[in-house]
Amino acid sequence: MADTEKANQTLDDLFAAARETPVPLPEHLVTAIMNDALVARAENLVPTPKQNMPSRTRLRAGVWRQLMFAIGGLPALGGLAAACAVGVWVGLAPPSFLPDPAQLVGYSNSTLVPYKGYDLAVVLGEEVP
Amino acid sequence: MQKRSRTDQPDVYYNAEISKQWPPGTGALMVGEPVSGLSDDALLVLYTNGDGRAVQELTMRLSPRCFGVAMRVLGNRAEAEDVTQEAMMRLWRMAPNWQPGQAQLSTWLYRVAMNLCIDLKRRQRGGYVDLDAVPEPADTSRSAAEQMQDGARQDALQLALMQLPERQRQAVVLRHIEELTNPEIAGIMDIGVEAVESLTARGKRALAAILADRREELGYTDG
Repeated sequence: MADTEKANQTLDDLFAAARETPVPLPEHLVTAIMNDALVARAENLVPTPKQNMPSRTRLRAGVWRQLMFAIGGLPALGGLAAACAVGVWVGLAPPSFLPDPAQLVGYSNSTLVPYKGYDLAVVLGEEVP
Repeated sequence: MQKRSRTDQPDVYYNAEISKQWPPGTGALMVGEPVSGLSDDALLVLYTNGDGRAVQELTMRLSPRCFGVAMRVLGNRAEAEDVTQEAMMRLWRMAPNWQPGQAQLSTWLYRVAMNLCIDLKRRQRGGYVDLDAVPEPADTSRSAAEQMQDGARQDALQLALMQLPERQRQAVVLRHIEELTNPEIAGIMDIGVEAVESLTARGKRALAAILADRREELGYTDG
């Protein structure tokens, strides 16, 4: 036990001596560190080259350009837009000479009326206990 | 990074080339205003703004501690110089991105230095102890015999430290020589506080055992 205490005391003394004896910094190292500071600041001032970084704007422009190319260019895109507009117009206000699409698939206006074959009073009566 | 040369570099702390390119007072402070009372964070902001005095102050404030720890952990002066220079270079490079108040700059630097030491040791796998690395006593008022004994004690401590496992050595140096707190060491070594306590306790026990037989040789008497 006493030996352990002595050993610990020796160690504490050595630690204390080490703390009181700071490691001297070599002067050539100080000079090198300060030169590095100059170099690093010059590096920090140089802006990051934008052409090497894919930005969101550049990516978005690329997608649109690819879509335009797939459609066939600006004239083809204009034709597509006109066709879409005519389609919407015909859908909302069909000319009189065109057949009713519902009749083409076998439905008429009468078949689409809900509860046509039911008596509402009978239906409601069944739910009353 | 500019590689230093021990023979080509002039022995000055603030060379003329730096002063010419980076005159004092180009930052937020006026010429002649002292920077020694500023915090590390404030000095780093000044450095980013181009104030040469901040470079000098930060270098003289932080690099000796970094160098001391690196030398204790590595046991080799040249390697400790490399680690210190690299750690300080990383400090300069990250300066524009530093968030003041989030952490202590010295703690960040210790952490970088410790990681660099680990990387270096991993590359080497079995280093050597450079007894020249142990600092000479700076106190010239002591007698030659006392200085020799101080040198022998520091050599003995360094040799004993080098016998410890790497993580124990780091923890012991940071705790007992740098006198950092356990939470600080935990942050630097990226481990828990309990792990730090365990490492330092085991390290200290191992050191005591290594040095137990050398008490009289090192001039420690029972009285």
